[in-house]
Amino acid sequence: MGPVELLHMSVFSQSFSPCGRFLAAGNNYGEIAIFSLCAALSPDTSEAGRKPVLTFSAHDGPVFCLESFGGHLLSAGDGSVSAWNWAELIKKNVKAVWTRRPEYKASMEIPEINAMVINPRDNSVVFGGGDNNVHILDLEHGVFKSVFRGHTDYVHCLSVREREGEVLSGSEDGAVRIWDTRTSQCVHCVEVHKYQKCARPQFGKWISCLTTDSDWMLCGGGPSLSLWHLRSLTPTSVFALSGCQRRATFYQDMILAVGQGPTVSHCLLGGQVKAQIPCTPNNINSLELNTNSAEHQVLTVAGSSQFVDVFTNVSYRAFSLCF
Amino acid sequence: MSSEALKKRKAKVLRNEAGPTEVKRGRGDGDQQDIRVYNEEVELDGRDHEEDFLQFKESCEGLATLMGEIQKLKASGAKEGCAEVEQKRLQSCNHFMTLKKLNRLAHMRLKRGRDQTHEAKQKVDVLHLQLQNLLYEVLHLQKEISKCLEFKSKHEEIDLVSEEEFYKDAPQEISRPQLTKNDPHQLTLARLDWELEQRKRLAETYKESQASKEKIQKSIEIKKEHLRSLQPGLNAIMQASLPVQEYLAVPVEQTQKHTEIAQHLPPPLYVLFVQANAYGQACDKKLTVSISGDVDEAKAMSKPPEDSQDDDSDSDAEEEQEKTKRRRSTAGGQLDDKRREMLKRHPLSLSFDLTCKDGSVLSLYFYYLINLNIMTVKAKISASTDLTTAISAGELVKSETLLSCLYSNDHGTETPNPANRYQFDKVGIGSFADYVEELGHPYKWVQNLGGLNFPSDTSEGVLVGSSLSASHMENTMKLLRGRVMSRLALHKQFASLEHNIIPVTSECLYLFPAKILSRLTQWTTITQEEYMNLTFTRHVTDAGLAKETDMYFSGVVERGTARLQAAVVLNPRYPEISPLFSLSLNWKGERSGHTDDNLRAMESEVNVFKNELQGPRPGYQLLTNQISRLCVCLDVYLETEEQDDGVEGPREFPREKMCLRTVKGPNRLKPFKYNHPLGLFSHR
Repeated sequence: MGPVELLHMSVFSQSFSPCGRFLAAGNNYGEIAIFSLCAALSPDTSEAGRKPVLTFSAHDGPVFCLESFGGHLLSAGDGSVSAWNWAELIKKNVKAVWTRRPEYKASMEIPEINAMVINPRDNSVVFGGGDNNVHILDLEHGVFKSVFRGHTDYVHCLSVREREGEVLSGSEDGAVRIWDTRTSQCVHCVEVHKYQKCARPQFGKWISCLTTDSDWMLCGGGPSLSLWHLRSLTPTSVFALSGCQRRATFYQDMILAVGQGPTVSHCLLGGQVKAQIPCTPNNINSLELNTNSAEHQVLTVAGSSQFVDVFTNVSYRAFSLCF
Repeated sequence: MSSEALKKRKAKVLRNEAGPTEVKRGRGDGDQQDIRVYNEEVELDGRDHEEDFLQFKESCEGLATLMGEIQKLKASGAKEGCAEVEQKRLQSCNHFMTLKKLNRLAHMRLKRGRDQTHEAKQKVDVLHLQLQNLLYEVLHLQKEISKCLEFKSKHEEIDLVSEEEFYKDAPQEISRPQLTKNDPHQLTLARLDWELEQRKRLAETYKESQASKEKIQKSIEIKKEHLRSLQPGLNAIMQASLPVQEYLAVPVEQTQKHTEIAQHLPPPLYVLFVQANAYGQACDKKLTVSISGDVDEAKAMSKPPEDSQDDDSDSDAEEEQEKTKRRRSTAGGQLDDKRREMLKRHPLSLSFDLTCKDGSVLSLYFYYLINLNIMTVKAKISASTDLTTAISAGELVKSETLLSCLYSNDHGTETPNPANRYQFDKVGIGSFADYVEELGHPYKWVQNLGGLNFPSDTSEGVLVGSSLSASHMENTMKLLRGRVMSRLALHKQFASLEHNIIPVTSECLYLFPAKILSRLTQWTTITQEEYMNLTFTRHVTDAGLAKETDMYFSGVVERGTARLQAAVVLNPRYPEISPLFSLSLNWKGERSGHTDDNLRAMESEVNVFKNELQGPRPGYQLLTNQISRLCVCLDVYLETEEQDDGVEGPREFPREKMCLRTVKGPNRLKPFKYNHPLGLFSHR
């Protein structure tokens, strides 16, 4: 990889290993890099400790999603989902355990996969992308169980409500759809841009980030980032963040949101923006919290640069990992 | 008690009569009445000391009571010598006797005990001594054993032939298989014998070879002598043939002259001359090499190597004289003189003319700095076309930058000879860079062509080798020619770029759609400082990709109200290292590759996916193709920009390009990739 390629690298996805000691990150060249958090966090670390222990080519297109589940690393991007064994990756053996691709309707280009989430309750992977549909891949049998059709543009983001057996999807068409996994039917459809409070016509109507926690939902994108009460389906608070948000998550009693702009925003549930922490990438695509290991409990942030910022404390950037 | 006491008394009496025990025993042996013979020691064996102790106690108590009774009697007024008292006294005397006896017995018992202990102790001592001796012996034996085990025979160092080979080659009388097969010792002996035999044989062959070698040497000497005697005759023939040569116009003499002058070249230039001539003849007819400079001066400086020895000392002496002369001049002038002396060039220099396909000529002048032991080069381009048309391209064909970074990191401003630093310190020269304009550039490849090799970390070990020169010659000549071609190509392109025309050749037309609405409106050269001051180039500078040796340009592409500024870093090794673009779009506010993912994607479209844009080899059209693609990308960017539904009126940029999808992926990129035969745009 030459210096020019590094200069134009974007990191789209991250995932921590089940042991919490490794971080996988996928970039726009279809590569996945494995970083060792132990090496990077040790007090006497050098430059080399912040370089990946392993970099391998995983997909033809950018790696938009990475998830860890049951000892496997699942990666997706160019229309297919691949699984890699974490234990083998740590031993630097690079071989996909399996690769699955749903049957797309004949198209000029292969639709990309923009979002992937695990539904641990029925042991399945939910993913969606360029073909406007949400697919469910049963991990038990390796077959595609069902398809949720309804969006009129590509799917940006997904979220699973495990207890209710529901899947939420946000799309370029501006709608958040709530699906019942048992019947594969759309239960609700929320068009966020039609709510005066959230709409930002100067940007557009797409929904690019979506998170749920019990009865609450966070969504944003073209419209402002907003907190919704799901039972009443009404927005309760709207966050005054300038750019378009790409990833948001609940953290303790706060909300962490990233997107356009080189900052991680800390928001209170009431709607106030508490702090904006600067970081290296100018636009952030991915934000990940390591809950798998107590000693390496870090927040990592990556986006339009070859650096992955590591926050040992959510209120400041400690250092950067580098591809 | 009293009977026992009586017995004892009798025994005592008897003993007193008897004398020494042996005599008694002898006598006892003699007559049968040995019961009567008394032996106190025997008695001692028969007695128990516990009993004795009890008896002693009893006697003491008896004595005490008797004394008490006597005292009572006396106190009650008994007279001295009263029968009762007397009787009591006798009884106490008895008791005394018993005590005495017991005392004696006790003493004897003690003595016997001591004797026994002593005896036992002696026995133990003897055994201990024996043990010590044995242990010492064991130790000694162990030492001997280990010495034996460690013994190394000389024969182990001898490299023997393997066993199989030995049995195969050695004669029966040496190998004796029936004896050696089962006895490794015999086997080793036999193998050693065989080794000795073989060595003896080899020594003999060696001697024979030596003799034949001497013989051959002698014959060579004789032949040499013969050849030498031919020289005068040949010279005479040459002399005689001169008129014929002139008449037939055969340039035998001329090349000979050339080589004669070449004799006076300093070694590095000579190496270069020979290698370049050889290369020119073998591979590259369009390379001409000539020697220029003052031959006489060169002759004065160095004589041909045949009669070098005396002359060298002469010239040394001359130099000495010169030096002493200089010492007399004033201090400032002295330093100046020294500097000039240090940087002195050899009077002879080489000039190369490298003709390219299109008729333009690259002239290279190679110099040798005698005292610094480095070579320098100056370059000049004489193109077949007019070079004054493009203003922004001035940098491209300047002699100073023309050859920079021919190989990576070869800037040619600092001297490659590490020893020079010390020489410079002596005469106060700060850096060689100040003299580069006058003396030429000391590129590393020039040193290599001259066979000079400077290891980067040691100040010694200068190696002159024509093999070094030969290994670099072909590659360097190719690079030089490539450099000239690329610079001239760039020059031509710049000329039209300055007139806002992007020259796209027919081979590359398929890379772009037929209709491009964005237009280049400006193309200028900028300085590195100006480049670094631009806000949208910071990431390039931070990544260390904007170097001092690079050239910097700025271009503007416009369409309607949108104005795209591109800052370009051009590496001297273009097109091997592609130009690097940074973008800033001024349309509805300022956007740059920093803030807008789509502009960043446009940057990577020209910077990263440059291989598609290279065009026909070796890719001289890369830069213009990159600019063209930039125009196309700007069209796509503007046409696919989201229309705000709330704003009235027609779109400024109606969508004309065919796109499969306008946005894709989490960062909503626009379709910048052009698919040639279909004529539509898609995503990477």
